[in-house]
Amino acid sequence: MSAALEIEELSISFPVAGQRVRVVDEVTLQIQPGEVLALVGESGSGKSMIALGCLRLVPKPGRVDAGRVLLHGRDLMPLSVPEMRKLRGASLAMIFQEPMTSLSPVVTVGEQVAEAILLHEKVTRKAAHARCVELFERVGIPDAGARTHAYPHQLSGGLKQRVMIAMALSTRPRVLIADEPTTALDVTIQAQILELLRELQRETDSAILLITHDFGIVNELADRVAVLYAGRLVEEAPRETLLHRPRHPYTQGLLRSMPGSVVKGERLEEIAGTLPPLTELPAGCRFATRCARVFEPCHESTPASLQLAPEHSAFCFAVAEEEGG
Amino acid sequence: MSAAPAPAERDTAPAPAPLLRVEGLRTWFPIRAGLLRRTTGYVRAVDGVDLSIHRGQTLALVGESGCGKTTVGRSILALERPREGRVWYGDTDLMALPPDALRSYRRKLQIVFQDPLASLNPRLRVREVVAEGMRSFGIGANEDERSERVAALLRRVQLDPQTMWRYPHEFSGGQRQRIGIARALAVEPELVICDESVSALDVSIQAQILNLLGELQAEMGLAYLFITHDLAVVRYLADEVAVMYLGQIVERGPTERVFEAPAHPYTRGLLAAVPSVDPDIRHRSLRVLGDVPSPANPPPGCRFHTRCPECFERCRQEAPTLFENTGGESRCWLSDPKAAPPASG
Repeated sequence: MSAALEIEELSISFPVAGQRVRVVDEVTLQIQPGEVLALVGESGSGKSMIALGCLRLVPKPGRVDAGRVLLHGRDLMPLSVPEMRKLRGASLAMIFQEPMTSLSPVVTVGEQVAEAILLHEKVTRKAAHARCVELFERVGIPDAGARTHAYPHQLSGGLKQRVMIAMALSTRPRVLIADEPTTALDVTIQAQILELLRELQRETDSAILLITHDFGIVNELADRVAVLYAGRLVEEAPRETLLHRPRHPYTQGLLRSMPGSVVKGERLEEIAGTLPPLTELPAGCRFATRCARVFEPCHESTPASLQLAPEHSAFCFAVAEEEGG
Repeated sequence: MSAAPAPAERDTAPAPAPLLRVEGLRTWFPIRAGLLRRTTGYVRAVDGVDLSIHRGQTLALVGESGCGKTTVGRSILALERPREGRVWYGDTDLMALPPDALRSYRRKLQIVFQDPLASLNPRLRVREVVAEGMRSFGIGANEDERSERVAALLRRVQLDPQTMWRYPHEFSGGQRQRIGIARALAVEPELVICDESVSALDVSIQAQILNLLGELQAEMGLAYLFITHDLAVVRYLADEVAVMYLGQIVERGPTERVFEAPAHPYTRGLLAAVPSVDPDIRHRSLRVLGDVPSPANPPPGCRFHTRCPECFERCRQEAPTLFENTGGESRCWLSDPKAAPPASG
């Protein structure tokens, strides 16, 4: 069985102060059909840029330097702009954090979803509209028929995100990229949307690349997790392994710095310092400037992927020494 | 839910007078419509809030967007004009004070916003940002002395004192938050209102700022009013919690009591909605469905009844008050000691 989505040594760079900076550096990931892979990282980790890379939507002056993206074995990089446009929204769909910026404010939400259906399928406008009502019902929009006539500003944040999900599902995509799909929502609404995504994923068996900074959401939805720091993968593991037994110092630090990790009044564990500016990223391991377990090799070269268990790998010299020692 | 019994940690000593006490606060915003901009209704952002904060303690005000928590903070600072209520600072009612008398209290009450530098003149260097309040309250004999104090404050928030000569836009989110804290501390406040102060930060940076806030509280005996939607942060730092829904406090009590044994169905729903990072706890059932109704037209009876999984007839008709409930208070008919509970089913 071929993977639903394969990202092979993807590198994306931007010009900063006269040099090209790798904001995504040789990232390799695979998602199987029916699998949810969470891509986790803090601001500046490059997680959203990987999503844009997959969609071939890296904004200028950024560019993909190297690597391939394969959708069910088909390389997307050589596709023409019209071919790619046809693919986006059809077999490869997306949901963004802020639905307001992805929906047109001057067209009713029903027309926008119907339009998306008409773009990819030969059906009548009436049939497209009927499908839209069906989809609205499916994603739990109350009073679905009437709501198709609403404009985005007339809907709450939760309902707008449901419209976005309906639109993404309208063409029965095989791969769905969800970039922080609940970050702008209140927690009770977030819980409803997570529940919806989980149901839909079970029903449609599509593959999901879930981009988030929140380990709670990872735990709710993901099967596997990949952690990014400054554009590079640092660790990859099944959900339970990653949350219970993370090995990379960065993953460990992230989980320990969460306020829920200690009892009240105790100091939280901090990750020292901040992400360095892109132009001052260290040679060698990019996490070296903030890592508590840094030693000589970290400054000299980039750590390679180290297999710790069948599906668990980390990119770290300190972990390699533990394992080899 | 297998809630542990609330720890019996109620003080037996007489409670000290609170540093700040808010009584019956109502802040409404007019809705204007038509050519003449006539007021056609009110958004009842804050609709009858009482709370008190003790010296050296942290009260967290939690709730989802639109619940009125930010307006409570702004009303306390007189940045909004409440239509009713009192804000007692010790024995003084701040709302009854003329503006120049209010000024001296401004020094004791400071606020740190989500992005504390966003509202400031971008051409001010960090030194001016931090020293501005000192000058207006006459702290420091001259500019040299104030510069020294700015350097000490920056050092205290773990920034290089040399940063005082730079501009706010040159700093990352966490550093800007540190500068905002230094600015608030510069006038030696007793109470700091933190309005979503750590919400926009990455978790590794958030931990640094939370630790810093904890240290400063221990050193200076600061009281915090912590306004946030993040329940993990609340549990970590608050002594007491007040949960808001549609302009009212629906539950309050000591933090552990509220988290371990929430009395109000909304609090229970809110806590259940937060995804856990424990891989063994997944897919908890949803308790609170639908959207928050408009604060311009809150539902009759209990304001939460349209989303409450435990709603019964009385909730639709009569608004509950805050009832005492095992060490806390809950605005729910199910917490009414006089009412017989409805037949369960």
